[in-house]
Amino acid sequence: MRARSVSATHERVDPEYLHPDYRSTQHRAPREALVALPAGAFDIPGPLVPPGFVRSGDNDLTTHGASAPQGEKIIVAGKVVGEDGRPVRRSLIEIWQANASGRYHHPADNHAAPLDPNFAGIGRTFTDDEGRYRFVTIKPGAYPWQNHPNAWRPQHIHFSLLGNAPVQRLVTQMYFPGDPLLVLDPIYNSVPEAARPRLVSALHMETGIEGIALGFRFDIVLAGAKSTPLEP
Amino acid sequence: MAGRTPSQTIGPFFHEGLRWKDAGKVAFAEKGRAIVLAGKVLDGAGEPVGDALVETWQRSATGAIGSSAQGDANPHGFGRVATAADGTFRLETTMPGGRIPCLDVTILARGLLKALRTRVYLCDESLVRTDPALEAIAASPRVATLVARLEGDDKFRWDVRLQGAGETVFFT
Repeated sequence: MRARSVSATHERVDPEYLHPDYRSTQHRAPREALVALPAGAFDIPGPLVPPGFVRSGDNDLTTHGASAPQGEKIIVAGKVVGEDGRPVRRSLIEIWQANASGRYHHPADNHAAPLDPNFAGIGRTFTDDEGRYRFVTIKPGAYPWQNHPNAWRPQHIHFSLLGNAPVQRLVTQMYFPGDPLLVLDPIYNSVPEAARPRLVSALHMETGIEGIALGFRFDIVLAGAKSTPLEP
Repeated sequence: MAGRTPSQTIGPFFHEGLRWKDAGKVAFAEKGRAIVLAGKVLDGAGEPVGDALVETWQRSATGAIGSSAQGDANPHGFGRVATAADGTFRLETTMPGGRIPCLDVTILARGLLKALRTRVYLCDESLVRTDPALEAIAASPRVATLVARLEGDDKFRWDVRLQGAGETVFFT
């Protein structure tokens, strides 16, 4: 296995741990300064997820029930690259989301909106050799939460990416263009303003299917790994 | 250079989406000494964090890392467990090889806008302080937060404190 060096950018794009408008950060954000990541730590390539881990159809969330789920069918597709622009190949992406009514298939979600027996809202896929991925799903609904009076989360899909090394591990949320709830959302607003648009997908007609589904494009850039496996 | 995508919280509803079968039993290509790593995640008020995800990444008993698993098996060397309502987690794994055995740990939770990275050592604290990777904090009493306590023959106990007294060392 060969390794190559990629210099990381030092631009601040992530939220701070403490973001008082997002109430749950108050007791969970570390107070001590973080210690510089030791060289080598978290930078060992892996984990290697075997191809059989993802089954055919795992990326089509509209086919996991007995019949079609309620809601607006959409395609979400994009490309995953490192900060150097090189594709992140054959890497696992997992997503989860609320249904069209804004309800998660999860015991802790007590929002009064209906569950959809045909929509679990979970999917997984691998990026291909060009770093590309594609999901078929339905547009999730907005939903209320308890953070502040009359708080509503904008429509979003949760993304989890393993990348090629733990230093590339990313959990984030994809939003939809033009959502008026975005400017009111403390989680979205926790990101430095200049970087917020990177979390918003773009309507992309070529990604959709004429007469069937609108398409949204969401490209993802992971941190540079110091050593990246070129070939398995 | 492309602009990196910002992190967002994992939120409270990740459990089904990130559930892997037997992900709390770390798989390896090679056999080794079976151990249990158990502990609790606590917040700054001393309350249990009952909706965290703890992920681990480590070497095998012989020091190998990242070997390929087959079929639909979990990747070798990688563990993923959610905390229970009382903040506890339990991982069955193999003692990592190397002079100073450790697991790299990533913690995600509601209220964490980005992942916390830390490390747990499964050896004596005096040995941990000799790890060149910890040079920046080698003399700090906080090193103790990275060391698991042996409880019984093969069971290690390690608690994570996100904030406040005894706060665990986290890495950038």
